[in-house]
Amino acid sequence: MSTDSLTAGKPSRRKSSHAATPGPQSPENAPQRRKGLSERNRPLWMLIPGGLLMVIIIVVPLLLGIFMSGLDLDQYSLRKWVSAPFIGVQNFVEALTASPLLHAIWLSVSYSLLAMVVTIPLGIAGAVATQNAFKGRAVIRSVFLIPYVLPSFVVATVWRTMFQPGSVIDSALHSVGIDPGLWLNGPQSYWTLILVQIWASWPFVYLLALSGLQSVDHEVHEASALDGALWWNKLRYVVFPYLKGPLALAFLIGMLHHINNFTLPFVLFGVPAPSDVELLPILTYVTSFQSFRFGLSAAMAFISLILIAIPLFVYLRAVKLDDAETPGGKK
Amino acid sequence: MKFASSAKFAAVAVAAALALTACGGGSTSSGGSAGPVDGKGKKLSVLVNSNANYPAQQKQWFTDIAAKFKAQTGADVEFETFATANDELTRIQTSVVSGQGPDVYSLGTTFTPTAYATKAFVTLSDDDWKKVGGKDRFNQAALGISGPDAQHQAGIPFVSRPFVMAYNKDLLKAAGIDKPATSWDELAVQAKKMTNPGTGTFGLATGYKDNFDPWKFIWAMSVQAGNPLVDGKSLKLDDPTVKKAYETYFGWLTKDKVVDPASVGWSNSNALAAFASGKAGYLMMTTSSSVPTLEKSVVAGKYAYATMPTTAPGETSPKGDAANAASILSGDNVVVADYSKQKDLAFAYINLITSKDEQLNYQKIFGDLPANAEALKSLSNPTLQPVADTAAKSKATPFTGAWGDIQLALVNVVVQSIPDLSKGSVDDSSLQARLKDAQTKGQASLDRASK
Repeated sequence: MSTDSLTAGKPSRRKSSHAATPGPQSPENAPQRRKGLSERNRPLWMLIPGGLLMVIIIVVPLLLGIFMSGLDLDQYSLRKWVSAPFIGVQNFVEALTASPLLHAIWLSVSYSLLAMVVTIPLGIAGAVATQNAFKGRAVIRSVFLIPYVLPSFVVATVWRTMFQPGSVIDSALHSVGIDPGLWLNGPQSYWTLILVQIWASWPFVYLLALSGLQSVDHEVHEASALDGALWWNKLRYVVFPYLKGPLALAFLIGMLHHINNFTLPFVLFGVPAPSDVELLPILTYVTSFQSFRFGLSAAMAFISLILIAIPLFVYLRAVKLDDAETPGGKK
Repeated sequence: MKFASSAKFAAVAVAAALALTACGGGSTSSGGSAGPVDGKGKKLSVLVNSNANYPAQQKQWFTDIAAKFKAQTGADVEFETFATANDELTRIQTSVVSGQGPDVYSLGTTFTPTAYATKAFVTLSDDDWKKVGGKDRFNQAALGISGPDAQHQAGIPFVSRPFVMAYNKDLLKAAGIDKPATSWDELAVQAKKMTNPGTGTFGLATGYKDNFDPWKFIWAMSVQAGNPLVDGKSLKLDDPTVKKAYETYFGWLTKDKVVDPASVGWSNSNALAAFASGKAGYLMMTTSSSVPTLEKSVVAGKYAYATMPTTAPGETSPKGDAANAASILSGDNVVVADYSKQKDLAFAYINLITSKDEQLNYQKIFGDLPANAEALKSLSNPTLQPVADTAAKSKATPFTGAWGDIQLALVNVVVQSIPDLSKGSVDDSSLQARLKDAQTKGQASLDRASK
């Protein structure tokens, strides 16, 4: 570390010693020389404090979690948990074959996707509608953000109250002659969850879409107007391409957020949850803190981590969100 | 990493805490029971459940008790509260693994076996019992869920909260009923007489969506029919008595139609509200802590408590020990953490809060019945008399670490049946399938407990 810090202060020497290693890159990417230079002089040692924290906060617990997934850890062995019997992959076998884990994964992923599919057009529509200045725009924009600023717990509590049998939603629907059935139990609870999730999370898409819209240069609007493009063509061929980056990001973050959302289903439906909304976080929670099967729940969490990390990785590579220096990744 | 569930995260976090504090623990306190404990400069940490009904009074109680304790021992008390049993469990898990945390915990009775299974709490020796005022000080029935047997007890009874039913005297009278039902069958008959959907009046008020109530009904009816649910190492949820219990419980809504159809979405507090508005004949599964609400409602002065039926559905008189299974043994126990380095101080605190005067004072403020035998006997409030009687007729739920899971399985049967319930009938085969599922899950958990 100390030598690094010394050399970092002497860029010229550092440069010459480094030139040999990334050599092949520099002649090929001649136009990118500026980037090559700055890369060589990065004081990477400065990442050490942050890196150390990452290791303690993320890597160590992750490894411990993986270790726990191999233990027969429950309330009886919790006190001396390190000496809990090691049972290899039995927890994984049980999670995959004898628990509702796969069902839970299916529910979590499908509900997240459905919610995203609806929130994206909603968010874009909201952003486009408030793009041009009009009287009261600031108010409308603030109102749009309300669901996003409210804590998840509050959102879920309010919706749960409204969805109670015989409560406001039921009586409103009754007055127009519809008998809606149960919202918080049975098959319909899945759609209730999606509905509330959409309500709570569309402003996030709206925010990102708005940021995308603001990055559209004024000249582009003028140019397309000169070419005689009408509103739809303008949206489709001029504006939307600008939104691709922010929306891909919104999709990704939204999916991860929905799949990990514990508060909303927990407060809406309680525990034990109706089997139609026994989502991944709920299942893991119940296994850990109601049945005290810590080993099993660690295995569940690990399986879900892998299952979701694979498509996530593929997706990250595809849209190159992880590579900030690649042009086109985000506009 | 974002995917590591909160559960896993918490568990590994406490594991990390363990790594840091592994060298802690060690010497425990010693010393005789004679004389006051000198706690000068020490601080006792106590974890209790927050009282949602009386937050201000609870704060005041904390201050008062802390002052009295300081006068007695010279030590300070620091109170922490938890909102739900889950909160507390998380707290216990963290403390158990790390070996540090509160010195004294307050535990719900049904949670005591689970906590006992972690072996994180002091099993009281005769000497220890003396330090808290002697075993004789307590209502002996309340000791029923302090440990697996009389020699191994960790939970010191603090308050009793037996479950009773409340009834609306006016509605019963109007229906020509002279005394509350003592059998479940009679209850349904009486409830029918009082039900009048036209005026929105129903015979019974109960919440099917409550997280706890359903299993208490099933437990009571099954136990009264002679099925203890847990028989040694085997679980008996596939027994006909359990099915009959569910049928009776669901039948109030589907066959007898004596409960508000909206109660499929109710918790206990919704049922209490319905009863308090004078729209229900009976309020099932309530405790003396409903007194303050009812006293301020339109039924003030028109309601009374009664012991819930003890004759199982289909029977004509209490069978075997059924008369003594009027309620689960309910209330709060206090336990002392095994890792505590000031156990004597902890016992001195418990001695203070379970003394006759403090117990009576607590009853006056919060409505919970004393666990102190003398204090319980001295209660003279006629409203509370049936509740106090029930305290002596309460039966402990099975003392096994698997009980939490069994309870969950019992409630789950109701949760999954609610869509059917709201449609008006729970068909036999799906109930059978749900019971089978509950049996399998519960038995697996029981197997782990007896391993």
